[in-house]
Amino acid sequence: MIKLENISFDHCIKCTVCTIYCPVAQATHLFPGPKQSGPDAERLRIKNPELVDASLKYCTNCKRCEIACPSDVKIAEIIQNAKWKYVKVHWFRPRDFFMSRTDLVGGLATIFSGLTNFIINLKVMKVLMHLFLNIPYSRKFPAYQRGTFTGLYKKKFMQSQKVYEKRAVFYHGCFVNYNNHSLGEDLIKVMNALGYGVDLVDEKCCGVPLIANGYIEKAKKNAQYNIDSLGKTGDAVIVSTSSSCSFALMHEYPSFLELDNSSYIDRLDYITKFIYDEFTAGNIPQMKAVGIRAAYHSPCHLERMGGVIYTLGVLKMVPGLDLVVLNSECCGIAGTYGFKKENYEISQGVGQNLFRLIEKAEPEFVVTDCETCTMQIEMNTKYKVLHPVTLIAMALEEKNKGKK
Amino acid sequence: MIYDCVIIGGGLAGLTCGIRCAEEGLRTVVISGGMNSLHFSSGSIDLAGFTENGSVVKKPFEHIKNNAAKKKDHPYTKVGIPAIRKSLDYFKEKVSDEGITLNHNSDFNHFHVTAIGAVKPTYLSQESVFSSRGKDIIKSGAKIAILNFKGFRDYYPEQTAANLKEHPLFKNSELMLGDISLPYYLHTEKNLHEFRSTDIARIFETERYLPRIADEIKRAAGDADAVSLPAFIGINNYREIRGKLEAMTGKFIYEIPTLPPSILGLRIDHAVKNSFFKHGGEYIAGKKIESSVIKKGIVESIITGSRGTSSEIKAKYYVLASGSFFSGGLQSGVSSISEPVFDLKVKGDSKRSKWYSWNFFDKKSHPFLSYGVETDSSFNPSTQDGKTVKNLFCAGSVLAGYNPVKEGCGGGVAISTGYKCAERIIREIKK
Repeated sequence: MIKLENISFDHCIKCTVCTIYCPVAQATHLFPGPKQSGPDAERLRIKNPELVDASLKYCTNCKRCEIACPSDVKIAEIIQNAKWKYVKVHWFRPRDFFMSRTDLVGGLATIFSGLTNFIINLKVMKVLMHLFLNIPYSRKFPAYQRGTFTGLYKKKFMQSQKVYEKRAVFYHGCFVNYNNHSLGEDLIKVMNALGYGVDLVDEKCCGVPLIANGYIEKAKKNAQYNIDSLGKTGDAVIVSTSSSCSFALMHEYPSFLELDNSSYIDRLDYITKFIYDEFTAGNIPQMKAVGIRAAYHSPCHLERMGGVIYTLGVLKMVPGLDLVVLNSECCGIAGTYGFKKENYEISQGVGQNLFRLIEKAEPEFVVTDCETCTMQIEMNTKYKVLHPVTLIAMALEEKNKGKK
Repeated sequence: MIYDCVIIGGGLAGLTCGIRCAEEGLRTVVISGGMNSLHFSSGSIDLAGFTENGSVVKKPFEHIKNNAAKKKDHPYTKVGIPAIRKSLDYFKEKVSDEGITLNHNSDFNHFHVTAIGAVKPTYLSQESVFSSRGKDIIKSGAKIAILNFKGFRDYYPEQTAANLKEHPLFKNSELMLGDISLPYYLHTEKNLHEFRSTDIARIFETERYLPRIADEIKRAAGDADAVSLPAFIGINNYREIRGKLEAMTGKFIYEIPTLPPSILGLRIDHAVKNSFFKHGGEYIAGKKIESSVIKKGIVESIITGSRGTSSEIKAKYYVLASGSFFSGGLQSGVSSISEPVFDLKVKGDSKRSKWYSWNFFDKKSHPFLSYGVETDSSFNPSTQDGKTVKNLFCAGSVLAGYNPVKEGCGGGVAISTGYKCAERIIREIKK
């Protein structure tokens, strides 16, 4: 049976525009491109699942095909669905299992963060991972921090947040929780300056790495957990500093995982949209000139959400920021994709255009919204990467305590 | 978000309008739902190609003056000939700044060759399609080699040659066919059969194989003076590549567009987008406008995205350049035609059987192609109740009153109406 709502492939007129803009098809001829892997092959797959071909695995789910499509075909979604519906995957995949459990691994790693970071960067460990786990030797790993952000929040911030009347729930995601506490601290600083007190609620990994690695049922469980948890937050606004987490919470839950997120959807924003709306409503905290020259890279999933203009709009209001907006190019890492040996070369190949643009721009910093783009850019260029929220936090005057 | 100018549609009309507005310092955003139809176009700009009875127009401006400009509803009438000229000069200058030269045959049309070898009149073309040197070569009856990459499936030189031989322009020319192949492809992961024009264009762009390609061209083309290749000799740096190939082979290099994606059109798309960004324009890609608010003849806002993920966008002025039926600018029901963003008054027959001709290749073309939004002489549309919407302008193929296929004027109307709307907005804002 064909489900009627899933026949967007029928709107494809074979114009091949998606393939022009597919970063993977540009980097390797092994991937026949989104048109062929998506709408073209879907007809065959529906007829006979044996006609599924192996090239599906090259898709990074960056969604640039969907942005390019003039006929509104959900190309990436078709490919993503087919990947896990038709391709038989072995139940025992230790690498994919651990790679997609960002909260499980992160939770363990942050307990002994010093030891984890030491071991994971040992040459012998890298060789072993390369040989037995198919994790590429030259791939750098993000460092784990000591303890979790939730722990830090309870110790350092919980008390001070109570003075604010307006409330915001911060969906911090795994990266802030285990790898980048300072981004979480910056967010609190910015929200406070805007007059909001920040709350945390119980949350699990948004499910993006689980979907990417084929653990759909587990992703659904996580999503339902988050929906229940975020749904119970009254009328507080909800913000996230991760463009991909936001994309999952807003779009992937209802469309790909087919779950009802109406309990919070009207209150959730990716952080720069929230800040932009506050700024344009006149709620602008005092900022000092930062005196920085930065290059901005727009992550694929933020583009798909149409969120880039808000990030740019906010950055344009940061005084003393000399911003170079880079042409829209995929960095190539695509979450866990670039951490796998079989994809490593393609992933690096995809990113070359972006790395060249960054070098040409000669900035002091690179600014981007996405955590994995950050890892990829820091590994491949000599620049440090900042989140837009961090930049705003840098611009805030110390004495600025905001309106309560 | 509050803008000076919001443009709905990122095609030729929308971007021309956007460049002009952004250049004047207006805060301008283009919202586009998917890539524009330049990706399927010849990359040449048609101004006025055919007369009412289907014969070829020689001097397009003269033709517009004597024909189109006499029809009250024709977009060209509303733009006016001086502004049409000005808009085309402006467009040429802007794409030239981005590295694409557009040539014209003084005030005359020239011809370009389509993927199946049909010869069509047009007004502006890239230098690989029209230049005075190319014109001389064809006039002199020189030998022309029509080449293809061996195994490339999106172009058939035999068909080109067969059709060209029928055309009076080539009656003196000697045409020969040939294939070029490259040793490089023997080592690729993929069969050349599966390559698209963009795949090959990217190989050309690296310039790594140019000497070998030049050798192949010399071998296949023998003593021919001119060589035609399917259009894939680079996207962004095609001028250098073409120059180098001409120097290496000593032959004139002509380009013929292939099946989509069209590299010739892609170059124009990249050039206008780059120009728009350079002038400070903002761009939202892949977004649909879900609804709009019009009160007392003034657009107050438009809303993109669905529930929870929607955003309201406000501006002083709006431009609707959302294209015709294919681009979703116009919609057809079982027996109705509508404009989905603002529900504007549309001109078109509501009887379905009147929309099209039974003969697909009818010389009179299909009536639905001339359907579109009705506007007054300043391109302001009106709502269903007949009220004019004062801060909304319409440009490009969403407009009624002309048939781009029958008249051969799609590009010219898009550029001139886009430009005219921009001029109006600039004037209003500077008041």
